[in-house]
Amino acid sequence: MDPVGLFTAFLKASAFSVGGLSGLPLLREQLVVPGFVSEQQVVESLTIGRLSTGPNGLYVVSLGYFAYGWAGAGIAILAATLPPLLMVPAAAVIRRQLLSPWVAGMVRGVTLSTSGLLLATAYTLLVRDAAIASVPVWQIALALVAAAVTIRGGIHPALLIAGGAVVGVALGR
Amino acid sequence: MTGKRSSRSSRVRGVERPPSVPLTALARAWAIIGSQSVGGGASTLFLMRRELVERYRWLSAREFLEDYALCKLSPGINLIALTGLVGNKLAGPRGLVVSVAAMLLPAGAITALMTAGYTTVRDEPLVAAVLSGAGPVTAGMTAGVAFTFARQAMRRGWRAGADWGYLALAVAAGLFTGVSTLALIAVGLAVGALFLRGETTRASGDPGT
Repeated sequence: MDPVGLFTAFLKASAFSVGGLSGLPLLREQLVVPGFVSEQQVVESLTIGRLSTGPNGLYVVSLGYFAYGWAGAGIAILAATLPPLLMVPAAAVIRRQLLSPWVAGMVRGVTLSTSGLLLATAYTLLVRDAAIASVPVWQIALALVAAAVTIRGGIHPALLIAGGAVVGVALGR
Repeated sequence: MTGKRSSRSSRVRGVERPPSVPLTALARAWAIIGSQSVGGGASTLFLMRRELVERYRWLSAREFLEDYALCKLSPGINLIALTGLVGNKLAGPRGLVVSVAAMLLPAGAITALMTAGYTTVRDEPLVAAVLSGAGPVTAGMTAGVAFTFARQAMRRGWRAGADWGYLALAVAAGLFTGVSTLALIAVGLAVGALFLRGETTRASGDPGT
């Protein structure tokens, strides 16, 4: 993939999502399906993004690195930065429109679409190309516990990943 | 609101604020946020609040919450929108650029360095074992964030049934059809405007991304 194509992929994923992780299905579609990065590298990027500093959405830096080295990391962060900044000039208008029922409906529709796709992506990241029956029960249990803890909140994400790593070392060899 | 503030507007809801925050101070605060917020959105938001509201008192707690709620609607990474919005509010366009750069450069550099370091050890058996446990946790956390996003968008009462139904359809479309993400987002815009109108999205919950 050329740098312009990579920039466009990250820009599109950022522009057509609400929240950094919501761009993941679109990035998968543009980077994993054509074979520029692997499903395994997506999981690795998400894990590194969770262990690093800054917003979760900066997993794109890691994904960009996997796709195109250091330049890819720079391209990813630049492309991911531009769409959110549209909020600065738009803020004054949106503040007035926030209570409009149809604007709320559109935001709700997009949020539910991207959330649904993200849930489907999370499932795909767990099972990869295999059937769910072939995934070890302990891995399914880990994913369910992590989902429940994330929804409930209160445990630092790095601790959660560290716990998963310990279980992986114990059962995954 | 511009970065230059009159003396009249320098006191907002009990918070003393200079006409325009010095760029060096702004850069220092955002660099701390970008380099110390290990663990994603929750800790980034926590540090933003600590630095901007509690330590420097550049924003009132209410202003910060209102800006955060607004940025939940932004495209892409919400906390980048919040960084730009606050930077612009405190020191104008230059404040925006300084804030975004000072927050993202350390965080991006740390993430890229971690990735580069990871690629040198990824073939070690121990690393594979670690990922066999950390990978499912990451998938589960992604599902948890998605569920929380969706729950924040749900309306109350009987209309929540329609929202959950649409979410289920979106999950099924993602799992069982080859529908493109952009097409489903376009469907979401249309269905939302026509059938999911009503209450605004709630701001509480996972600060996520």
